[in-house]
Amino acid sequence: MGLSSNSSNESIQLCIFDLRRGQHEGQELDKILFFFPSGLPFSKQLAVIGLSEGLITFTRIFSPQAACDSIEAERHSHVFHEPEPDIWMVLVVEKSNDSEPIWRDDALRKVLKEIHSLFVMFHGPVRAMLEKEPGGGLVRRHLYSFIMDYLRDFLVGKKFLLPSFRDCLKERGTVQMLTITREAAIEVQSLVRVLESSAANTPCYSLILFQDLLVSTTLSPDDTINLFTYAVLRLTPRALSSGTSSWSYLRKGNIASNVVTETNVAPPSSMPESFYGSSDISPGEDNNYHVVRPLQSDKWSKGKDGYLVTDLWGAEVGTWVFATPTVLLQQTGERMYLCAYQHRSLTLMLLIPISSIPNGEQGVSAVKQQVLENASLKILKIEEKLSKGWGGENAYHVGGYRYLLVDGDRNVSRASPATKVTTLTKESLLAMNKLRQEVELEKNRAKLDEHSCEKDLEVCIRAKNNAWVISRVTRGKELYMVLEKANETLLYASDAVEKFSNRYCDGTFSLD
Amino acid sequence: MSRKATTSKPTIGLRGSDGLSHAYIQYPPLRCNVPESGGLFYDDGNKLLLSPAADQVFSWKVGIFDPLTGPTTDSISEGPIIAIRYSLDTKVIAIQRSGQEIQFWDRETAETFSHKCKPESESILGFFWTDSRQCDIVIVKTNGLDLCAYKSESKSLQLVETKKLNVSWYVYTHESRLVLLASGMQCKTFHGFQISSADIVRLPRFEMVMAKSEANSKPVLAAEDIFIVTVYGRIYCLQVDRVAMLLHSYRLYRDAVIQQGSLPIYSSRIAGSVVDNVLLIHQVDAKVVILYDLFADSRAPISAPLPLLLRGFPRSSSSSQFSGRESESSDGNVASSHEAVTYADSWIFLVPDLVCDVANKLLWKFNLDLEAISASNSDVPSILDFLQRRKLEANKAKQLCLGITQTLILERRPVPVVAKAINVLVSSYSHSIKTCSYLKGLKPEMPLNSGAQNSDADVSTIERDAIGKSIIHESTARVDSETLDSEDESHFTNLEHNSKEAYVGGSVNNENSPSNEAHSSYVMQSSLLSVQEESQLTSAAISPDEMYNFVFSPVDEEMVGDPSYLVAIIIEFLHSANLEKIRVLPNLYVLIIQLLVRNERYAELGLFVVNKILEPSKEVALQLLESGRQNTQTRKLGLDMLRQLGLHNDYVVLLVQDGYYLEALRYARKYKVDTIRPSLFLEAAFVSNDSQHLAAVLRFFTDFLPGFKNTAEHNRYHRILNEMNSSMTA
Repeated sequence: MGLSSNSSNESIQLCIFDLRRGQHEGQELDKILFFFPSGLPFSKQLAVIGLSEGLITFTRIFSPQAACDSIEAERHSHVFHEPEPDIWMVLVVEKSNDSEPIWRDDALRKVLKEIHSLFVMFHGPVRAMLEKEPGGGLVRRHLYSFIMDYLRDFLVGKKFLLPSFRDCLKERGTVQMLTITREAAIEVQSLVRVLESSAANTPCYSLILFQDLLVSTTLSPDDTINLFTYAVLRLTPRALSSGTSSWSYLRKGNIASNVVTETNVAPPSSMPESFYGSSDISPGEDNNYHVVRPLQSDKWSKGKDGYLVTDLWGAEVGTWVFATPTVLLQQTGERMYLCAYQHRSLTLMLLIPISSIPNGEQGVSAVKQQVLENASLKILKIEEKLSKGWGGENAYHVGGYRYLLVDGDRNVSRASPATKVTTLTKESLLAMNKLRQEVELEKNRAKLDEHSCEKDLEVCIRAKNNAWVISRVTRGKELYMVLEKANETLLYASDAVEKFSNRYCDGTFSLD
Repeated sequence: MSRKATTSKPTIGLRGSDGLSHAYIQYPPLRCNVPESGGLFYDDGNKLLLSPAADQVFSWKVGIFDPLTGPTTDSISEGPIIAIRYSLDTKVIAIQRSGQEIQFWDRETAETFSHKCKPESESILGFFWTDSRQCDIVIVKTNGLDLCAYKSESKSLQLVETKKLNVSWYVYTHESRLVLLASGMQCKTFHGFQISSADIVRLPRFEMVMAKSEANSKPVLAAEDIFIVTVYGRIYCLQVDRVAMLLHSYRLYRDAVIQQGSLPIYSSRIAGSVVDNVLLIHQVDAKVVILYDLFADSRAPISAPLPLLLRGFPRSSSSSQFSGRESESSDGNVASSHEAVTYADSWIFLVPDLVCDVANKLLWKFNLDLEAISASNSDVPSILDFLQRRKLEANKAKQLCLGITQTLILERRPVPVVAKAINVLVSSYSHSIKTCSYLKGLKPEMPLNSGAQNSDADVSTIERDAIGKSIIHESTARVDSETLDSEDESHFTNLEHNSKEAYVGGSVNNENSPSNEAHSSYVMQSSLLSVQEESQLTSAAISPDEMYNFVFSPVDEEMVGDPSYLVAIIIEFLHSANLEKIRVLPNLYVLIIQLLVRNERYAELGLFVVNKILEPSKEVALQLLESGRQNTQTRKLGLDMLRQLGLHNDYVVLLVQDGYYLEALRYARKYKVDTIRPSLFLEAAFVSNDSQHLAAVLRFFTDFLPGFKNTAEHNRYHRILNEMNSSMTA
């Protein structure tokens, strides 16, 4: 493992800061919205942020629109991301001693992007929260619990496993689709219409997943990615069952592991109280003040009626009814109730505008009831049909190939199953990681170009271990593949791509 | 499912009858008044109404009901007439003179002879001509059936076979070829024979059910209490039970008679007619009629008992304020003339859909008011189902179906309701395709019109496929094709065959490549349809193209607001069509794209294309390109579709348009697209102002296009390239 040598908790640092705050001497702490590890002395935190800020200010002179992307220091990589104007996220990772880089900037940046867009989906933009409560305590509390919950998914034992070269045949921030027959697709669409017409006259949205794969969505691409990501993290049958199976382990971890203790809502005691909560909120009130932690694991379970329930959003005042989760849609800026229903492998997510339901939980449960009445038969039929047509975990494995297919227009990706990718040698993976880094550099350069045309790109590399590492980019679609134990001629490699393209990509990559 | 919805249905074309009645007779009737008439007779084998007078017989063809038909006359010898029937080839007239004698009269030679039975032991109850191979005429006597062959040369009947049975009375209809013989004390034991061209089938003996009024009284069944009814090619026997006030129905199979349940009656005098496979039970005393559609298993009437309407009766006096509307009378008592009395005592009901007013010598034909029926029923799927089964006024039924469906959508009824309705239409269309009646209906020349005798045969062949189980009927159908009109029939099957092939061929063609031929043939069909709008459709089935043209497209124009409802409806239509394996035309897919784009639901549109819910075709691809003006991803989907369809030429042109001229060149070379002018590529490269690219394009053509170097184009762009280069170096 790349992190194995010295991946203690300090091997990564993640911070969020606001350039509009703390610009006067003595108020520097004010700009820090989040820092991990939180136990790090403020002086060190400020050092990291100061460096970042300095570089941002410097590079903005030359490129006001897109300032600093990353810093490559001798022992660390700094990856930058500016999700909202003047709100910056910086991830610092330690470099390994290998000659080949184990990190890929873009993969790390996608983690930052994911954190931010999920945060916005649940809590709204950071800037809005800052404006709501200029002291910063509110946003700090939210960011802290949210990101700690998020990072816990990367925690293996005591180490954080961030996306490294081993994940080079994966693409964060895309959805994975289930391929279905026309007949099934029509039935799914029929179900979608029923779902969306269940809430009177208001336009609802829906998302349907089979296992961890997307079947249908009526949301905009960005919202689809967010909800899909959340579903795969917390809602799908696999997510639910992995939660319960590791439940006891995590409980133990709660006592034992230092990091997990930190995930408590209460800020670390070393912090000055004014930092994580303004002084006017006494600890007693703090307990009453409920910070919703949507990413807290093991909090979702399947109810008797098939709907997934959680107490994460608390209960309605004076009742034992759990409050229905709400999310904010990026495209419309509308807050929606999120109702998730599960039947075997099928997970349905229905999003109902809050504004359309005047009587709160009562109204939501009426809609839920309506959905069950109208759609349960269809749901049964579709689940059965999809289950029959599904090829299992390795359905999209193609013998001899290890591939990643990304459709950048639709934000869809498909890859060899993870178990198959692990059979590749480290050399192949490192080579692919490097190739992807190069391709992304090239793509970014093209983006800066004035020309709107998307350029075609084709790279074929014979790696040290005699594997073919190939990349093709054509009009928004990308194909990466590793061919180990393949023939040594280039002709063979390009034939292999051609075959793959004709068979699985409708000939997208075999245009000439 | 509210009442309100049905009342707001548009009345299509015709005068609204406001649900006052569901069946009507149309004025004027056929007048069959001849001087010195000796009564009226009905020959159902030839569909002739006969009126013998002194020494001649007047006959009206009523197979195709036309009130203006004049009679033809044949001279016969004078004498008493108990029954009179023409032979099926109409060459011979047979007249029952008494209980012992039948006289035969050759119309060509005017020769005549008599057939007599033994007077002491038997008497003749009646007779009928048949198209059986074994015999020409069947004589029903008190002691059984005589099956005889007619020998014109020897001027005699040759006895072929006798069936010995005690017969009290009998019932026969030519359309069923079935004779039922009643026997026993109560006349409720029945023997049945079906004498068809194929063979003679003896039905198992069966007993009718009769309720007893008191312990000792045993009611006797009379001939007028039994009706043989032919609907949808099935043969039923209806029996009036006066005590129980029920109408029992029995379905007759070749080897079984199965009781089907009972219908209530509200009159002591009951008559049955069949119009377009709908059973009309006339409650004569109550002066109302109840309609049943025996196709479904339910015995529920189509609607409540309502009076029979007399349409178009001219009122001589009064009511000028009504003159704008056609005066109608639904009640005999109010009518100013004796002609306008419905359900008069003098009405004699004739098989299948005629009624004769023997007192006034009038013949009326029953008709269904499909509009009124559909307006009075709020269960839309079932009414569509009913309308789809109508053949007589198929075009009207079709228009009604289209109208009802349109209204349903415009009223934004819940999607499941509309889905159910659409499913009825689609499965009906699918069925009609399988039985070929849809395409048959589109043929301009219809066997239906070729002669009065044929109508029976034609209807039955259509239905034969529909009810394959009804063995009895199958044989009748064969009878018709073999003897009655063999010429027509073979021509007819030919047509059927051809049209089927054409369809299959078309759809296969379309599987692989977007063949315009198939599409144009569809277009032709629909235009054909509009040309013969009021004509001879035999099926109310609605093709996907018609669904588009007469439902979805007009609805789209009329509908305001969110189009997603219409998308949901169309998806349900696709769902039904897919289940029935019916091909949907690209125009509907194009409409879906337009609707989704109107809502800017591009992501969903992408899903529709990727999952092939919108089947690839050039039309769809072009619409995607058109809609993709606002959304590049959609445009790419259109481009990809063109490529996948193998429309290389269009693909290359579009690539160049989008500025991908180098890619276009590579593609053109790979797929040998050589129809595009080099100047197109050169111009694109020139516009991009990239001298390297221009040089590459120029080089491409000099290398791969023989003789290009000597063209004016080459020289022109070569010069341009040189200028570009020199300006750059300078």
